[in-house]
Amino acid sequence: MHLQYSYSLATFSPEGRLFQIEYAIEAIKLGSTAIGIQTSEGIVLAVEKRITSPLMVSTSVEKIVEVDSHIGCAVSGLVADSRTMIDKARVEAQNYWFTYNEQMSVESVCQAVANLAIQFGEEDPDPGAMSRPFGVALLVAGIDEKGPQLFHMDPSGTYVQYDAKAIGSGSEGAQSSLQEVYHKSMTLKEALKSALTILKQVMEEKLNSTNVEVATITREKRFHMFSKEEVEEVIKDL
Amino acid sequence: MGKKTLWKPESDFFLQQILQNISVEGGNMAQPGVQMQGPEPYGAHGPRQQYFSPYSWNGGTVLAIAGEDYAVLACDARLSEYFSILSRDSPKRYKLTDMTVLGCCGFHGDVLTLTKMLDARLKNYKHEHNKTMSCKSIAAMLSTVLYYRRFFPYYTYNILAGLDEEGKGCVYSFDPIGSYEREVYRAGGSASALLQPLLDNQIGMKNMQGVQRLPVPKEKAVALVKDVFISAAERDIYTGDQIIINVITKDGIQEESFPLRRD
Amino acid sequence: MAAEHFGFSGELWGNGPSPGGFYSTPGGTTTPQHGPTKHTLHPMTMGTSVLGVKFDGGVVVAADMLGSYGSLARYRNISRVMKVNNTTVLAGAGDYADYQFLKEVLDQKIIDDELLGDGHSFSPKAIFSWLTRVMYNRRTRFNPLWNQVVIGGFNNGEPFLGYVDKIGVAYEAPTIATGMGAYMAQPLLRDALEKKPNMSQSEALELLERCLKVLFYRDARSFNKFEFAIVTAAGVEILQPRSAEANWSIAHLIKGYE
Repeated sequence: MHLQYSYSLATFSPEGRLFQIEYAIEAIKLGSTAIGIQTSEGIVLAVEKRITSPLMVSTSVEKIVEVDSHIGCAVSGLVADSRTMIDKARVEAQNYWFTYNEQMSVESVCQAVANLAIQFGEEDPDPGAMSRPFGVALLVAGIDEKGPQLFHMDPSGTYVQYDAKAIGSGSEGAQSSLQEVYHKSMTLKEALKSALTILKQVMEEKLNSTNVEVATITREKRFHMFSKEEVEEVIKDL
Repeated sequence: MGKKTLWKPESDFFLQQILQNISVEGGNMAQPGVQMQGPEPYGAHGPRQQYFSPYSWNGGTVLAIAGEDYAVLACDARLSEYFSILSRDSPKRYKLTDMTVLGCCGFHGDVLTLTKMLDARLKNYKHEHNKTMSCKSIAAMLSTVLYYRRFFPYYTYNILAGLDEEGKGCVYSFDPIGSYEREVYRAGGSASALLQPLLDNQIGMKNMQGVQRLPVPKEKAVALVKDVFISAAERDIYTGDQIIINVITKDGIQEESFPLRRD
Repeated sequence: MAAEHFGFSGELWGNGPSPGGFYSTPGGTTTPQHGPTKHTLHPMTMGTSVLGVKFDGGVVVAADMLGSYGSLARYRNISRVMKVNNTTVLAGAGDYADYQFLKEVLDQKIIDDELLGDGHSFSPKAIFSWLTRVMYNRRTRFNPLWNQVVIGGFNNGEPFLGYVDKIGVAYEAPTIATGMGAYMAQPLLRDALEKKPNMSQSEALELLERCLKVLFYRDARSFNKFEFAIVTAAGVEILQPRSAEANWSIAHLIKGYE
């Protein structure tokens, strides 16, 4: 019964739903967990890396990326799909800087990426758009003139600002934990600790410095990806 | 009064560069260095061959000074072509945002097109990014807009005045193909060669001994601007009719105008 | 140099069509042109000055009815003023073919707009802006419409008078005179307007007629037959062609130009 609708992207079901988008959102829940927390000092991004074999080179799994020096992005879901979106974000950020000689705002970057995400199935799409929705969710974090901000974007191209957000397989549990620990006056250090504590709770593997990725975006260091040593430094206090 | 200067196409460095660089559909324009047709004596001997020149020089002068917490942008209102006055009420200032004003003169066809397009770009920017473009960003954008026409330039002289992110007065000056710089004071257009040395002396305190370099108060800047435009109108036939002064402060833009000589 | 153009260069028919060649304008070469596609970058049949002035409650534009072919007064009864719509008129100087083309495009534009039947019509300002864009875009493509156009209008209780030329220079002014009129009529128009800022319609017509007469006396490409187009709140009126009473009785006194 449902089949009729579920394979057609441009068709609403009688209940008014677009199943392909919903399925894409389901796909995210299979992805590894990613957490973002915004504080007044900056934003923390932390993700789980699934190291499926001891022979895997863990550093080759990249789930937090730099978009511009003031914007970072954590992904969960079909990571390959995220590459197109990150490309778009990076190009837009640089184009904006080229034309206006200032850094693009975090929301404008989200808007640009969302415009790409929503073009699935279109007849004459911009380069990068596909025939199906992207199978990833993004946590876009950055600092602009409005201060530190964290955005969550789903495969439909909807983006919403959050104080703290978890995506991926452990997101349900992580989100409720975040709700408990989050407070407005949180320091970056606290946020860092909370993010990893929660990640540790929801991860199946035992958390260590090779199966997590951590980055912060602050006024001082801008986008900063944690080294193995820096991650270990945080982990030892958990 | 005394002798007035007449603009000649061959005396304008940029126009020469521009005309030499233009090419049409792969081939150069028929005539090397398209001839600007002056008011040719009617009934001149021999048949008259008219060439097409895509440019004209319509005169006009703009001037801007950046102060501590203000910026002044002044311009005249005369629109000319050769020895004719086309209009006595064509101010060369274009309000771009609540705190940025553009002074734009040169070839009026390009001036109209450029300013109209900038207005559209600013509106789109506001819709896309939910904020008004800063003076710094407008300057950067204008530079790219001008440079994209590098090989068929907008023949316009632009000076941008406004307040920067810290509320300080700022002035950006441009050449017709997009080279730009932030400055404290700058004159552009028809009488720029008359005004700039005067500003060097009075605002830049150049070539003076034992002077204190104090920030120029707003009132002094406005008074100076009036004076220099009166002088420019005396000597330059492409400056006159009216001076329009815009003073930009955190409270907004104030405009005043005064008559200049009409001959 | 001039001798060459006038046909003493040993060509079969001086300044005329060479056998097998294309006919060309006076002053042009008589051999066909080769090389890359070229747009017509010089005018053929030309109209001289166009005048316009605002008055109390309206605006009037005027032009004579001569189409000059070089120094030849080739067409002596062509109209250079047109009604655009009920609020706008237009008068054109320069290449007459380009004027006719522009007139055709404008007329069709008005018909297309009328066909929508939504009660909308273009204001004089809108026509003026559109023309400015057309002229500028044509010049940018190096395919100009070789005209100076004066637009007169009356809308929302306000008279409108504007000018656009072949390279997209455009402005509004209370008095406008193109070509030779810029030198001989414009000073008269400005002077009259300064002395009487709120002219009546009849005063404005009288003023333009005087200017056209002056131009007829001194501009060799002008003609003593002209048309006026008037726009007021009542709409557009194009007057029947008329002539000024000219007096050449002192002409024989002018010596030295024989």
